[in-house]
Amino acid sequence: MAEETFLSDEFVSQLTAVGEVDILVGLPTFNNRDTVQRVVNAILVGLVKYYPRERSVLINPDGGSKDGTTEAVQAASIPDFRAVLASNPLRTMHVVSALYPGVQGENEALRMVFAAADLLGAKACALISPDLESATPEWIDALVRPVLKDTFDFVAPIYQRRRFEGLLVKNLLHPLIRAAYGYQLEEPVGREVAFSGRLASYFLGDESRRENFAGLGSHVWMTTAAMAAGYRLCQAFLGPRVTSSRRSALDLNTTIQEIAGALFRCMELHQSYWTSRQTLEEVPTFGFQPVLNLDPVRIDRRRMFQMFSSGVDDLGSVLEKILSAETLQAIKDTSKLDEKNFRFVDELWVKTVCEFAASYHHSVINRDHLLQSLTPLYRGRVSSFILENARAEAEEVERRLELLRHEYERLKPYLVESWNRQT
Amino acid sequence: MSTTSAVPNVASKTSDSAADPLWYKDAVIYELHARAFNDSNGDGIGDFPGLLQKLDYVQDLGVTAIWLLPFYPSPLKDDGYDISDYTGINPAYGSLENFKELLEQAHRRNLRVITELVINHTSDQHPWFQEARSSRDNPRRNWYVWSDTDDRYRGVRIIFKDTELSNWAWDPISKSYYWHRFFSHQPDLNFDNPAVLEEIWKVMQFWSDMGVDGFRVDAVPYLVEREGTSCENLPETHEVVKFLRRQLNEKYPQSFLLAEANQWPADVRHYFGTGDEFHMAFHFPLMPRMFMAVKLEDRKPIMDILQQTPDIPENCQWGIFLRNHDELTLEMVTDEERDYMYDVYALDSGARLNLGIRRRLAPLMENDRRRLELMNGMLMSLPGSPVLYYGDEIGMGDNIFLGDRNGVRTPMQWSGSWNAGFSAADPERLYLPLLSNPVYGYQTVNVEAQRRSDHSLLSWMKRLIQVRKSSRAFSRGGIEFLQPRNHRVFAYIRQLGNDRVLVVNNLSRSAQAVELDLRAFEGYIPIEMFGGNPFPRIGRIPYLLTLGPYNFYWFRLRRL
Amino acid sequence: MRELVIRNLRGALTAVSDIVAEALPRLLAMAIIVLVGWAIAWVIEVILRRLLVLARFNRLFESKGVTRALSIAALPSPAEMISRIVFWIVWVSFILVGVNALGVVALQREVSAFVGLLPQFVVALLIIFFGFLAANFFSRAALLAAVNANSPSPRIVSGFVRFLILLLAITMALERVGLGRGVVLVAFAVSFGAIMMGLGIAFGLGGRHVARRILERRFAAGRERREEKDDEGSHL
Repeated sequence: MAEETFLSDEFVSQLTAVGEVDILVGLPTFNNRDTVQRVVNAILVGLVKYYPRERSVLINPDGGSKDGTTEAVQAASIPDFRAVLASNPLRTMHVVSALYPGVQGENEALRMVFAAADLLGAKACALISPDLESATPEWIDALVRPVLKDTFDFVAPIYQRRRFEGLLVKNLLHPLIRAAYGYQLEEPVGREVAFSGRLASYFLGDESRRENFAGLGSHVWMTTAAMAAGYRLCQAFLGPRVTSSRRSALDLNTTIQEIAGALFRCMELHQSYWTSRQTLEEVPTFGFQPVLNLDPVRIDRRRMFQMFSSGVDDLGSVLEKILSAETLQAIKDTSKLDEKNFRFVDELWVKTVCEFAASYHHSVINRDHLLQSLTPLYRGRVSSFILENARAEAEEVERRLELLRHEYERLKPYLVESWNRQT
Repeated sequence: MSTTSAVPNVASKTSDSAADPLWYKDAVIYELHARAFNDSNGDGIGDFPGLLQKLDYVQDLGVTAIWLLPFYPSPLKDDGYDISDYTGINPAYGSLENFKELLEQAHRRNLRVITELVINHTSDQHPWFQEARSSRDNPRRNWYVWSDTDDRYRGVRIIFKDTELSNWAWDPISKSYYWHRFFSHQPDLNFDNPAVLEEIWKVMQFWSDMGVDGFRVDAVPYLVEREGTSCENLPETHEVVKFLRRQLNEKYPQSFLLAEANQWPADVRHYFGTGDEFHMAFHFPLMPRMFMAVKLEDRKPIMDILQQTPDIPENCQWGIFLRNHDELTLEMVTDEERDYMYDVYALDSGARLNLGIRRRLAPLMENDRRRLELMNGMLMSLPGSPVLYYGDEIGMGDNIFLGDRNGVRTPMQWSGSWNAGFSAADPERLYLPLLSNPVYGYQTVNVEAQRRSDHSLLSWMKRLIQVRKSSRAFSRGGIEFLQPRNHRVFAYIRQLGNDRVLVVNNLSRSAQAVELDLRAFEGYIPIEMFGGNPFPRIGRIPYLLTLGPYNFYWFRLRRL
Repeated sequence: MRELVIRNLRGALTAVSDIVAEALPRLLAMAIIVLVGWAIAWVIEVILRRLLVLARFNRLFESKGVTRALSIAALPSPAEMISRIVFWIVWVSFILVGVNALGVVALQREVSAFVGLLPQFVVALLIIFFGFLAANFFSRAALLAAVNANSPSPRIVSGFVRFLILLLAITMALERVGLGRGVVLVAFAVSFGAIMMGLGIAFGLGGRHVARRILERRFAAGRERREEKDDEGSHL
C-alpha cells in the first residue's frame, strides 16, 4: 500500500522543532475548555516534578473545538514552577496543538499521537483525557515510570471505583478478555494509559488500526492489540477518576455498541492468537492502593429488570438468530421470574456473551443490531448482579466476580467452538 | 599610562587600542599562572623569564591581555591568594626586574597585563598582621578587624565550611579574635580604617606606575563588615570601590578594575554602580548554564540567565569564561541543576570539589572537538570579554587526583619532549606532575604538535579569536535573541551600528534544521565569517538553516 | 358420402400428419435445443463455479459485506449465486431459441412480448427483493431502538415499519411492471393516509399522557435529565 501523508505541514514543522523526546503525553481534546487547563497543568507539573531531565512534549490533537480549547491548552502554563515545586524546569517545555479531521471517536487523534511518538522517537507515551477533574501530577509518573524505568510496553490504569461502578467492565470486558486473551487486566478500556515508543510504532503500522472504532473502542483495540502482539503489560494504580464530561452519561446502548462491538471486532482481528491461547498471565500492578469507601453509584434496578424482561419478550425473533435455542429458552425463563427472586446466573450470562461474540463473528444479522440486542440482556445481568450484591461486603463482591471470571475461563472451549463453527 | 618604566610601552602600542580607554571591552583575556607556564631556570617552577620566552606564543594566539594569577611573596597556603608582601615578587618566579621586563615586552606585543589585587585579606605572615598582633596598641592594630569575643557579626555565613568553623580566629599573641572570611590564616583587612585604604591605593599606584594595565580584585563583596548584616555587598564596600576607582581614573585613566563577585547578575550589577565602580565583572551564573545547555541540548538555561541579566552602564563590560583556575563553580544554580551537573559532568565523585567540578574544559567535553569548538564559539560570541584559561586552547586535560584544584593547574604542555618542554628539571622536581596519560598526556596534547597542523584545536582557536576580533559587534554590540521553535538551536543577533552578526548554535549532538524569523533583515545577505562565503539572501519567509552536530555559524549580515 | 367422409378424413389426417410431420421435427428440434441448452448451461455452471471457487471469488466480497448481506437474506454465496444465474440465463436463452424454432407465430409473439417485459419484471423482482431486505432491516432497527429506549409496544412499531416499507416496495414494483398504475397508487395513498390519521388520533386521544410525558421530558431542566441518567449507572 502506498504510504500516505496525513500529518499537516504545520504539525510536522512543530514536531521538527521539538525533536527527539523521551516522554510524549497525548491529550486529545474536543470542546474541553473548562477542564483542560487543569489537566495540562497537572501534566506539566508531573513532567517537571518527576522527569526534570527527560525531554518531554505534550501533544494535543484537537477535533476542531469551537470553544477555544486549543487556546486554553496553549495558555495553560505554570507561571511559577518554583511556587509549585520549589524547582524550575531545566528544559524547554513543548506543548503542540494540532487539528485532526473528524470528531468521530479518537481514532484520528490517536493516530496523530502514534505518528508523533514514532517521529520523535519517544521512549514512553501517555494518554490523558481532557475532561478529568481528578488528574494529579502523580498520574504522569504512575503511568510513565513502568515504561521508562522498566521494560513494560503498555500500562493500563486501575481506578478507585465506586460501588457498582464499571459493571460492564466487571461483567463482560475484564472477564472475557481475561479468558480469551489470557491477561488479568482490571481496566481494559482505561482512558489513561501509557505505552512504549516501540508499541506506538507498532500501533501506527498495524493494519487493524484502520478499523473505524467508534468512541472508546480504540482503547479496547490498543489493549487487545498489545496483548495479541505479545508486548509486556502492567497496571498502575491512579486513584479515583472523576470527570466533568457528559460522556460518562452516554447512554448505555451506545456504550455497549462501542465497547462490546470493539471487543468482538478485536477478537475477530486477533482470532488466531486467542483461540489457541491456553495460559493465563498475571499482570504486575504498580502503585499504592488505599482502601477508600466511595459512595455507591445509583442504579434503578427495577427499571433495569423491567427493560430486560420486556426486551426479551419483544426481541424474541432477533435473539433466536443470535443465541442457541437452549440459551434463549433459559433467558426467556429467567425474564419471567419474579423481580425480587430472579437471578441471571453466571453460566447463562457467560454463554450469552460467548454466543453473541460468535454470532457477531459470523454476522448472523447486522452487527449493530446484534450489539443493540445485547443491551436488554446486559440490563438483566446488571439487575441481577445488584440484587445479589446489594448487601454484600466488598470482599464478597470480589469473590463473586472471581467466580464469574472462572466461569468465563471454564467456558472458553465453548466460546472457541461457537466461534469456529461453520455456518 | 604609567610614567616610569612603562614609557616605551605607550609608544609601542598601536594607536587605536592605546588611545581607547574602553579597550577592555574588546579584550580577549588569557589567564595564566607564571608558575605553570614556563620554567627558565630548571627549578621545576615556572617563572617570569620563562613566560617572557613564550610571549610570542601568547601574542600569536591573538589574545589582547594577560591575566596573571598571584605572583607575590606568600606562604602559598591558598595558592598565592595569601599575600605576605603586596609590592614584591615571589622569588621562585623571578624578580621585580624580570616583571618589568615582562611588562615591557608584553606591551610591545600589544598585550595588556592584568594582575591580582587581593585586598580583602592578607596572609597572617604579612608584616602588617605581625605588627598588628604584636600588641593591642600597635599603630597597625586597627588595620585588621579585632574583637574580644567571637560573637560579633553573628549569622554571617562561613564560606569554607569544610575547613573553617567560625569567621573569628583566636590570636594567642594579642589574646583576641580576628575576623577572616576565608581561611583562618587570611585575616581580613579593616577597610573602615582610612589608612588601609590609602595603603591599598599606594599598592595600586606601585604596580600601575610599573605598567600594569588593570587589576582583578579578589573577593569584592566581603571588604566591609557591619553588625546585623550578612557582611556582604554592603554600601560601605561600594564606597571603598568607588574611592579606588576615582583615584585610578584620575591618575591612570587607561587602567581598569575587574570584580570577582560570585553572585547573581542582579547583585553583581551593583558593582558597576553608575559606571563609577568596576569596569568589568565576571558573569558567574552564565558559565555552568552553558555547560548545562549543551548537555540538555536545550537553549533554555542560557536564555533564562541572560534574560535575567540586567543592562549595565555603557562603559562597563561583563567578563565571561568557560573554565578558570578554580573549580567549575555551581554556587549560582538551583539544587536540581547542581545535581544534574554533577550527574552529567562529574559522575566520578573525585571530580567534585566544594560546590563545583574540578575539571578542565576538554575532559568536561569528553575531548569532543565539535563540542569544544561550540563552547568556545559561544564564549566568543556572547556579550562580554572572553577569558581563556591557559592550556584550554590546546585541549589540555586534568588530574583530579592531585588534591584541591591542583588538577587544573598542571604545567603547560609545550612539546612532546622532556617535561613537555616546560622545564629542564628532573620530572620529580616539578611543582606538579605533568599529565602523561594516552589521551591528554603531553606526548599527545602539546603546542608544538598542534602548531604543525592548520586544523588543530590551537590553530582553530587562533582563527576563532581572529574572527571574533574582526567585528566589534561581538565585543560592544547589543544582543537580540531569536526564538526559533527548535529549542536545540540557540540563535542571536549581535549588532553595533551597521555591523550585524547572526550567530546560530546547534546545542545538539545530532543534525538540526531551524527556521529563523529574519524578516527584520529582509534583503540582507548572510556571509559566513570563517570562510567568507555568502549564503542565500534573506527573504520574507523563515530562513532555513541546517546544522550538523554541535555546529555553529557566524554570519555577518550585509546589505548589498 | 362415405367416400367424401373418408376423403375428408384422409385429407384431415393428411393435414394432421402433415402438420405433425411438419411440427414433429420442430418439436424434436426444440426438445433437443432445450436439452442441449440445459447440458451446456449445466457445464458452464459447473465450470464457472469451479473457477470462481478457485479464484476465491467469495473472499473478494467478504470484506465488502456482500456475502454477509446475502447470508442475512438467506441466499447462497456470491459464487453460487453467479453460477446459478448464469445457468438460468443460458438455459432460458436456449428455451427461447427452441420455442422460436417451433415456428408458431403466436408463440413467437408471446415470446417476444415476454422478452420485452423481462427487464421490467427483473427490476420489479429486484425492488421487491430489496424491499424485503430493507423492511427486515429497518423493522429490526426500529424494534431494537424501541426496546432500548424502553418505549411501549416495540413490536407494533417494528411491524408498522415493516408494513410501510413492504407496501412501498410492492407499490413501486407493480408500478414498474405497469399493472393497474392508478389503482395501486390510490391504494397506497389511502392506506398511508389512513395510518397517519390513525396514528394522529391514537396519539392524540390514547397517548395524551404519553405525549405529555415525552414533551415534558424533552423540555425538562437538565437537572432532571441527569438524575435519570444517573439511575443508569456508569458501566465503564
